[in-house]
Amino acid sequence: MFYGSRWIRTPENPKLNVPPGEDAAVNRFWCIVFLLVPILGVATFIVAPYYNIWFPRDVSTHGVTIDNLFMFILWLTGILFIGTEWALFQFTWKYDAERNPEPVKFSHGEHTLEVVWTIVPAVILLFIAIYQMDAWAAAKMRKPNIRPTAEIAGRQFNWDVRYPGADQQLHTLDDIVRYDGNIHLPMGEDVLLVIKSQDVLHSFFLPNLRLKQDVIPGMEQAMWFYAKDTGKFDVVCAELCGWGHYKMKARLTLQTRSEFDKWLAETYKAEQAMKVATVDQ
Amino acid sequence: MTKHHPTSEWIALVAVLLVVGGCGQSEQVVFRLNMREVVSNQIEPQYQQQIVNVIEAMFGTPDGPSVMPEMKLDIKHLKFAAGPVWDDQAGRRHGLYRKHCAHCHGINGDGRGPTALFLDPYPRDYRPAVFKFKSTYNPARPTTNDLHRTLMNGVPGTAMPSFALLPPAEVAALVEYVKYLSMRGQMETALIGYVFDELGEGDDGNLIPLDPVNDSEQRNVIVDELLGDIVTGWEEAPEQVIHPDPDAIPVDKSSAQWAASVDKGRTLFYGTKANCVKCHGPTGLGDGQQDDYNIWNKAVMTFEEATDSLPNQIKTTRASMKKMDKEQTVATKEDLVLLHRSLTDHREVLEELLPPRNAIPRNLRQGMFRGGRRPLDIYRKVYTGIAGTPMPGGGPVTPGAKGTLSDEEIWQLVDYVRSLPFEPASQPTRLRINYDVLN
Repeated sequence: MFYGSRWIRTPENPKLNVPPGEDAAVNRFWCIVFLLVPILGVATFIVAPYYNIWFPRDVSTHGVTIDNLFMFILWLTGILFIGTEWALFQFTWKYDAERNPEPVKFSHGEHTLEVVWTIVPAVILLFIAIYQMDAWAAAKMRKPNIRPTAEIAGRQFNWDVRYPGADQQLHTLDDIVRYDGNIHLPMGEDVLLVIKSQDVLHSFFLPNLRLKQDVIPGMEQAMWFYAKDTGKFDVVCAELCGWGHYKMKARLTLQTRSEFDKWLAETYKAEQAMKVATVDQ
Repeated sequence: MTKHHPTSEWIALVAVLLVVGGCGQSEQVVFRLNMREVVSNQIEPQYQQQIVNVIEAMFGTPDGPSVMPEMKLDIKHLKFAAGPVWDDQAGRRHGLYRKHCAHCHGINGDGRGPTALFLDPYPRDYRPAVFKFKSTYNPARPTTNDLHRTLMNGVPGTAMPSFALLPPAEVAALVEYVKYLSMRGQMETALIGYVFDELGEGDDGNLIPLDPVNDSEQRNVIVDELLGDIVTGWEEAPEQVIHPDPDAIPVDKSSAQWAASVDKGRTLFYGTKANCVKCHGPTGLGDGQQDDYNIWNKAVMTFEEATDSLPNQIKTTRASMKKMDKEQTVATKEDLVLLHRSLTDHREVLEELLPPRNAIPRNLRQGMFRGGRRPLDIYRKVYTGIAGTPMPGGGPVTPGAKGTLSDEEIWQLVDYVRSLPFEPASQPTRLRINYDVLN
């Protein structure tokens, strides 16, 4: 017997075996508790922007598409969520045992109802599937025909970055390789990244560029974007990759092409060092 | 039917949450004695406690570090890095070592934190004060800058990540704390050695206590000699930095000169003079001799061997008793008790040590150099080897001496090593099989 069965009046159990009054109050008490779940759920979304836990600043050109898609799906599912939760609450409130002495009559199916609640969600899902196709294609299929700006290789628990040198080719002698988690990339132009893993699954996540790509060992993934602004932004690993996953952070510095080139040249020079000043060693 | 009170449900819920959330007392964090050294040297329990007391008087505890002026360590940095993790009112984070490092390197800096077993290579044990990635001669300590570089860049190819995103003050505090743990570990070993060599049973048959507070002679030895040597080692590190001979540094090579240098480097690499091929293998894949160990693993192996030899010792001692007279038997029985106790201690300590692993030579074709990828970094590795590992140096052992390889040859090797990741794997000369010998 499941827990709540003694509060259900059925033909086999026409009498409630609990004293009236007290437990009826409990019944309605739980109605309110369950109603709090959707209320708090919706409230979270309403107050989130005021606590700075909403979208981070978007500095990409394609980000607005992603954000609009997100907001559209959020509103759609939000309205449906509020509707269904309100209906659930209404039923539990209205038909509590104390106020409904009549035994329960079970319905054994209504064809029209079944068809309606199958077709409506199916149409909605199909609509979302078609509506998002262009955004998906832009993010995953229309790879710009340019040379990679950098290669990002995740390892437990660091992001290693390799930039092509003067020859514009990756994996040649003049590559610049950085392990210090400071990733520099240019803004105001198309940027193509090659994403790799050195060990296990990782996910390269750039929240401010609305980009996230799982990194699969043995595969090379591509990521591309066009940044509109300069600045320093967070990079995190978004796939649990081991016990040090939380440590796997980096910082993205977006700068103008001339600044980026200057930084590359300086870094290249430092990386070619054959001697250092005695004081600095 | 019993009456059901809703309050009883709430009480049950709260009880479950308390159990799940846990409200037990956390264990007190203490520095633990280097039991491998203690057991190897058969230090008596009274001395163990005295060593702990002396070390604590000198270095403090994990929650409250203290230093002596002789150590030249910055106590402000240490207090910032030590202790439990918390934020002060100004938003400054404390307990940095426990937040970022202790889960691998351990509270003691012994490289045996809870996550250490999952890692290959194992995290560094700071206590012998041997560091692989540094700019100084092989036996020398690293400079502050070297430790700083390792924290900034991490160690590529290992689980050591970069900490470059931390505020500079936090990195500086951590570097100081690593030095502190290292000195503390050195001091501990030195004290154990001191007790083993100098103390023991006095003329009256009692143990001479290790008590530098009341015994000024002991204090002088411990502070001036033992600690003095340790601190000097760290202080002299900057003088031990390897600077390539400025005249021998090749500048602005043309591509033809570069190719010639790489060619000469290749000859050296596979030749007997530099003999890199022995370990790094005939293709540079690190597939040469792979059955050696670094010093940290060797220490564990030595300890393992000592443990394994004890049952045999007990057996032979017991066998020898048959031919003894009564007096000798009594003395030997005492020995047997000691041997049994030693075996129990050995086995107890061995259980806590990490199982030894081979030192695998670097696969140079990955182009991943743990100690840095600048030509200068590779030069220093070829010049002086890698401390604590089987990698030997080709340059002079001490400043001013003469090495196996000239500066020019070292630079040629550097050029070849740097070109290796881009060289087709089938190109290098294969090891020729001498069929005459086979037949």
